[in-house]
Amino acid sequence: MSLTFARAEPSVAGVGDYIELMKPRVMSLVVFTALVGLLVAPGHVHPVIGLTALLCITVGAGAAGALNMWYDADIDARMARTAGRPIPRGRVTPGEAAGFGFTLAVFSVVTLGLLVNILAAALLAFTIFFYVVIYTVWLKRSTPQNIVIGGAAGALPPMIGWAAATGTLAVEPVLLFLIIFFWTPPHFWALSLYRIEDYARVGVPMLPVVAGERETRRQILIYTLILAPLGVAPWLLGYTGPVYGVAASIFGVAMIALALRVRGEHGSHRASKQMFGFSILYLFLLFAVLLIDQMSGGLFGHFAA
Amino acid sequence: MTTVSEIIKEATKPPADDRPYSYRPAPSAEGWQGAGIRLTEQQMRARRARSIAIALALGAFVVVIFAVTIVRLGSAALERPTLMQPPGAVVTGK
Repeated sequence: MSLTFARAEPSVAGVGDYIELMKPRVMSLVVFTALVGLLVAPGHVHPVIGLTALLCITVGAGAAGALNMWYDADIDARMARTAGRPIPRGRVTPGEAAGFGFTLAVFSVVTLGLLVNILAAALLAFTIFFYVVIYTVWLKRSTPQNIVIGGAAGALPPMIGWAAATGTLAVEPVLLFLIIFFWTPPHFWALSLYRIEDYARVGVPMLPVVAGERETRRQILIYTLILAPLGVAPWLLGYTGPVYGVAASIFGVAMIALALRVRGEHGSHRASKQMFGFSILYLFLLFAVLLIDQMSGGLFGHFAA
Repeated sequence: MTTVSEIIKEATKPPADDRPYSYRPAPSAEGWQGAGIRLTEQQMRARRARSIAIALALGAFVVVIFAVTIVRLGSAALERPTLMQPPGAVVTGK
């Protein structure tokens, strides 16, 4: 009896390929929302502890991205948007991506738990678990509600930031969670409207593939109508100054206007693309104004009053 | 006649190929030339870049642990442990 072993080719993966595995663009929004959660929390957090928490959240988010790319490598290779990722291109093997992701996940959670606090570490571990197991492995290929439920993973970073600063949770970080949670469906469905062939080809049951474009446009509008008042809620509940309230109202109206345009669009995806692009700006601006409002210590409130 | 210096010279002579095993040629029909896989220039460059990145990441990790330790313990980081004191002993002095 003879055994033949296939010898793996030595890796040609560069540092950039591993950084790409961590989904740096997604990571930047995660880091920013976590930073806002950390800074708007009451009390003082030492800069070194705050930076450590942010670093751990960044690495944890990167780990989740790498594990997502590892599991989804088969469908990524057949979708135009993702075919250039490191695994489909053959730069990184699935095993290397899995090892990289698991290592970073364990390091980030353990480090956050030991150096910052256990609650933040538990939330980070839950976020990674939710994104990889609940969203990527379970929901993504089985239900059109995949990004609605899976959106919870992307909504947790401000809560982790808050927990890192205070060791507890409160209503304010839950509000931030809800804003991102209800922001996710219009954001991703706007993208999926003009990537419908990609998702259909690989059998991912995104809403436009399963329920059609018309229903997706209706759902985008419904979620946006929930999102816009939620964005203003921190001011309505008295957590922020009026400047935030006014800015959030303007951004919310702009989102609703775009959602209405998407709803009325036929045979073109111009509004969908605008909606996708603006939704990223919306979340960034909303959190940026919230941060400025909180950091100014009510200064805006005095000016406005 | 072989002199002592010649013996020493022979014993300390560097091997024909003193690169790490993975850089040497793979075994051939002519005999054992060295173990492992022969890396291409591109593979060697990629490995070196990865090694440097890992070293920097580990260095950063050490710095983070050190900084947080100092922040958490403050001046207590410089205090000597008193674990060897017998129970009930009164520690005097600064």
